Amino acid sequence: MGSGRRGSCGKWLRSESRLAGGATDTRRRRVAWLRSREGVLAPSHAMWRCLGALVSGLAQNARLRTSLSKRYLCRPASGGRATIFALSSGQGKCGVAVIRISGPASGPALLGLMASKALPQPRVATLRLLQDPGSCEPLDRGLILWFPGPHSFTGEDCAEFHVHGGPAVVSAVLGALGSIPDLRPAEAGEFTKRAFQNGKLSLTEVEGLGDLIHAETEAQRRQALRQLQGELGQLCQGWGETLTTALAHLEAYIDFSEDDNIEEGALQRVDGAVRGLREALLAHLQDARRGQRLRSGAHVVIAGPANAGKSSLINLLSRRPVAIVSPEPGTTRDVVESAVDIGGFPALLSDTAGLRDSPDLVEQEGVRRAQDRLAQADIVLALLDATDLASASSRRFLETVVTPGGPSPPNRRILLVLNKADLLPEGMQLRGPDLPPHLLLSCKTEAGLEAVLASLKRELAAVCGDPSVGPPILTRARHRHHLQNCCEALGRYEQSKGQDLALAAEELRAARKHLGHLTGHVGADDILDVIFRDFCIGK
Amino acid sequence: MGGPRTIGGVMGRVHGALRPRAPRHDVSKDGGPLQSLSTIRSPLTLSSCSAPVTVLNRGDFCPALTMLPLGHWSCRVAARLSKQPLAISRSYGGPAGPHYDVVIIGGGHAGTEAAAAAARCGSRTLLLTHRVDTIGQMSCNPSFGGIGKGHLMREIDALDGLCSRICDQSGIHYKVLNRRKGPAVWGLRAQIDRKLYKQKMQEEILTTPLLTVKETAVEDLLLTEPDSDHPGKCRVSGVVLEDGSRVYAESVVLTTGTFLRGMILIGLEAYPAGRLGDQSSIGLAQTLENLGFVVGRLKTGTPPRIAKDSINFSILNKHMPDNPSVPFSFLSEAVWLRPEDQLPCYLTHTNSRVEQIVNENIHLNTHVKETTKGPRYCPSIESKVLRFPNRIHQVWLEPEGMDSDLIYPQGLSMTLPPNIQEQLITSIRGLEKAKIVQPGYGVQYDYLDPRQITPSLETHLVQRLFFAGQINGTTGYEEAAAQGIIAGINASLRVHGKPPFVVSRTEGYIGVLIDDLTTLGTSEPYRMFTSRVEFRVSLRPDNADSRLTFRGYSETGCVSQQRYNRASLMKSSLEEGIAVLKSLQFSSYKWKKMIPEAPVSTIKSEPQSALDILKYEEVDMAMLAKVLPEPLTKFAECQELMNRLKIEATYELSLILQQKEIEEVRRDEALQLPKDLDYLTIRDVSLSQEVREKLHSSRPQTIGAASRIPGITPAAIVNLLRFVKTTKHKKESADKLSLNDQYLSKRDRLQKIEL
Repeated sequence: MGSGRRGSCGKWLRSESRLAGGATDTRRRRVAWLRSREGVLAPSHAMWRCLGALVSGLAQNARLRTSLSKRYLCRPASGGRATIFALSSGQGKCGVAVIRISGPASGPALLGLMASKALPQPRVATLRLLQDPGSCEPLDRGLILWFPGPHSFTGEDCAEFHVHGGPAVVSAVLGALGSIPDLRPAEAGEFTKRAFQNGKLSLTEVEGLGDLIHAETEAQRRQALRQLQGELGQLCQGWGETLTTALAHLEAYIDFSEDDNIEEGALQRVDGAVRGLREALLAHLQDARRGQRLRSGAHVVIAGPANAGKSSLINLLSRRPVAIVSPEPGTTRDVVESAVDIGGFPALLSDTAGLRDSPDLVEQEGVRRAQDRLAQADIVLALLDATDLASASSRRFLETVVTPGGPSPPNRRILLVLNKADLLPEGMQLRGPDLPPHLLLSCKTEAGLEAVLASLKRELAAVCGDPSVGPPILTRARHRHHLQNCCEALGRYEQSKGQDLALAAEELRAARKHLGHLTGHVGADDILDVIFRDFCIGK
Repeated sequence: MGGPRTIGGVMGRVHGALRPRAPRHDVSKDGGPLQSLSTIRSPLTLSSCSAPVTVLNRGDFCPALTMLPLGHWSCRVAARLSKQPLAISRSYGGPAGPHYDVVIIGGGHAGTEAAAAAARCGSRTLLLTHRVDTIGQMSCNPSFGGIGKGHLMREIDALDGLCSRICDQSGIHYKVLNRRKGPAVWGLRAQIDRKLYKQKMQEEILTTPLLTVKETAVEDLLLTEPDSDHPGKCRVSGVVLEDGSRVYAESVVLTTGTFLRGMILIGLEAYPAGRLGDQSSIGLAQTLENLGFVVGRLKTGTPPRIAKDSINFSILNKHMPDNPSVPFSFLSEAVWLRPEDQLPCYLTHTNSRVEQIVNENIHLNTHVKETTKGPRYCPSIESKVLRFPNRIHQVWLEPEGMDSDLIYPQGLSMTLPPNIQEQLITSIRGLEKAKIVQPGYGVQYDYLDPRQITPSLETHLVQRLFFAGQINGTTGYEEAAAQGIIAGINASLRVHGKPPFVVSRTEGYIGVLIDDLTTLGTSEPYRMFTSRVEFRVSLRPDNADSRLTFRGYSETGCVSQQRYNRASLMKSSLEEGIAVLKSLQFSSYKWKKMIPEAPVSTIKSEPQSALDILKYEEVDMAMLAKVLPEPLTKFAECQELMNRLKIEATYELSLILQQKEIEEVRRDEALQLPKDLDYLTIRDVSLSQEVREKLHSSRPQTIGAASRIPGITPAAIVNLLRFVKTTKHKKESADKLSLNDQYLSKRDRLQKIEL
């Protein structure tokens, strides 16, 4: 085991072939051998170590590298769980970002990024130059920590990369990890679940984690929503539908073609759809311009009824006139954005159209966009006219946005601000027993601004400290990972469809699963729905 | 095992189900905390009979089915039965009555498998059926198997169930569907001789040791206080028969088919499905309802039967059976009938005239118009025409038996008035002069929401009461039989105080079927499709024995020694074969020279193993054994072994990948949730009301099952983790996972036994 770890690639291959060549060897013994190296030296793990050595090696090795990567990159590792990675630090005031990986391929991935032959000493921080294992491009100089299982947070082999907190570096490291076979971005709560399964978390520790993961899931959902707005979202939805239909038709061809007449043409249409989809995905993945530019920072959405002073507030917070202000209700019709720094935390302010029923088509669209923004917000600055609290529009806003159905979920952060405090008669008490906690502000006199900024800063600190609300690059890395994998599965479909339709269907299922991470999971029943919609099946 | 077999104690607690309508049951010996569970309802609302599948057996309604000559066998059955006394009560102090370990109500496909399985597991079992001569009746299509359903039959057979072996003795046209699509989705199927199947099934049931059959209707369930160590509001302790007598039982399995408020619909007419005035099942239905079981309603249908000699086969497309026939059972070397003696099927199609007739008469059709939930798939020709106009639809003309003069037109299920049915049939090519012997009709019936049962098929509400078959909302003989065998096994294990036998969805189609039903419920008759199965490449018809036979043998005792030996030998031979194939490594060049048929690319420089070569479509084991006789000849002696090695080679890479996912699912399934968790009221845990209600109605037994319920979020799952039972059991199952279960433990590895 130790020698395998230190040995060169060639040695490993030789030992493999010797082992497989022994005529007396039973498969059982071979598997036992493999298992004894599980987590350290499954083929793909060894491959990573080998590949690292090769990449830094001489150019004449290039041919061998290609054949190696072909042989192992496409091959699933035998046994063991998938290895997961995630950014586990927040954004904003973070000079250092922490990226964590867990699973049997952690060691090989670490070796790959370090371009080293030996793992660092366990649980000791080591300064290393990190490089992309594929292209050998340097990524960053950072600290590396290696926690061999079971003495780790999850009980599995874990590693941590402490790199510079800039989005470019974090993005590059995540991208490099995502390109390693057997590594994938973690799902919400996955680290926790693994820790629990391996007996690393006591029951009491699990308590309270649910809320954390709820927040994590919600934050990921909001991130995904942002990412899926606009062109990319529409593309993904379109791809998802195409693939679901193709899969459903293939499943129908397998399950029903002999009893119910599903003609051969169905299969040809599936082939056509898959080919088209694969081309579209390839083009998308190669076209760097499509990578949607997303602005970092917590999304703070200013919302409220018409004419509450939302545009005045964004101008005040931005210290420049970004939005047009007029006494006319419905002045703001589109979303106005402004990136600001509040107390050291990056925030993206959005001024939205006042929520009201308007006959004006343009304004209606503005209201729709405002509601979209609300759904994606990390923090909502709910703004009301302090002199107009009794009006129907204010009431409705309070009921639907500020306190929808009782206490708001812990992850949705809302600051209720009552504007135009300067117009209130001196000494007048704001009445209304059902008015939630709020702040008084006058955009005009700037009275109360300090308190609003302090509260906002507190909320921002909480949001930015949450790793999952990290920079959008995390979402983008996830997208790229799944699109890439989807594309590869579609390629394998084309290869296997001639041999075995059940195998080909497996590839389409895998492709659909990857797209499902972006567009929502598609279950067996959804597939059956399409089958029964498109074909006449039954007896 | 020390189950609750203390008869005196049990009897002492028995309270007759109070039935105001039947005064003889009014008096419960010692009074008791259980109040009357059955109250009077209008008998008109519930008309049915207690035997399964009897919906289709009504003498006055289904002449084709009951006209079948009963033959000498039925007489023997009757004679045998009358001589067979019920076990004598061992009770003292309590009400008198015979006592059994397991009582099965119903003798259909679920009931027969359940009864035989319970008996094989060593329980003294009583099968109660309304009519012994309908045991094993195929009430709808004259065929078994198909895509997905064939998988179920192989799994039933791997647990030593009956239907596969009996189909190998009664089929009249064997055909494997999906031959060109890969062995993972092959569908074993056969046309079956109805009469022969029934006869063989009755032979089997009546000769099974420990199994007693009694012809009677069941009036009611006997209920008593619940065992304190299980959740449930009461416990079943026996049944009340139609004559008022009682039979006591440790477990009861209900396989009542479509009897619950079954209605037959044809044209605008509707008949109660059971016998009029048959009060026995009223009590049963009422008891279930009063106990709080949630009831839903489903519909299905059956086509008319046509006289064989009135069809002009000469102008139709003839389809011959496979040659050789592939048997259903792992134990059958061959089927009983040579391929050349088997009967053909014929194919014809509907046309625009058919469509016109349906459209013109749709107002005469109650069944189709009604809003009762039908399947998303088209159950009848009416719905086919309505949902997919301007198309032609296939009609398969299938034989009903070797000497039957009936033809079953598959694809023509309809509920039009009989005269219109005749019009429609005679407008189809080849059927111009066809005579309808029995019209098609629809059936509507109640089913119980299957989320009310556990994966062992025991109800959450009533301890030791098990449901199997159509009562759970499924359709199909195979689906019923699959549930039957699981219910029978678990009813028996429960008696002996052993842990339940649950097939996971990572282990078999049976597991997928039961997991889907118990976690998701169903709103249409549930039918098995391969597309429901995530691990389709791993759960194949060829390897059902490696998946289930060993577990069945060691955990339940329902598998015979003979089958176990055979499966063990096959498994060790497979492992050895794969190991040897992997060890044979040569350069591509050498392979190309040895086997020119193989499209080996000689560009590849690395050596390739024989297993890699076997992956090619053009290569089979016989070819390899020819060029490499030294190590491979012994694997080429058995055709089944050769076929299975080829299949393993085809799927090798995919299997490795799926194994990973399977282990992931099993990890979640090893995390067990307490059975008595009250999701609606548990405090200090933030679960939304919606999530609570979903968990409450499905009562998932593991974290894995909970995560499959739609709408259960990852956060909810983490919140549930704190309730997970951290027992030794969990640790063990986690340990078991680490063993690659493709490999047998030492105990399972057999000394060499000849095949």
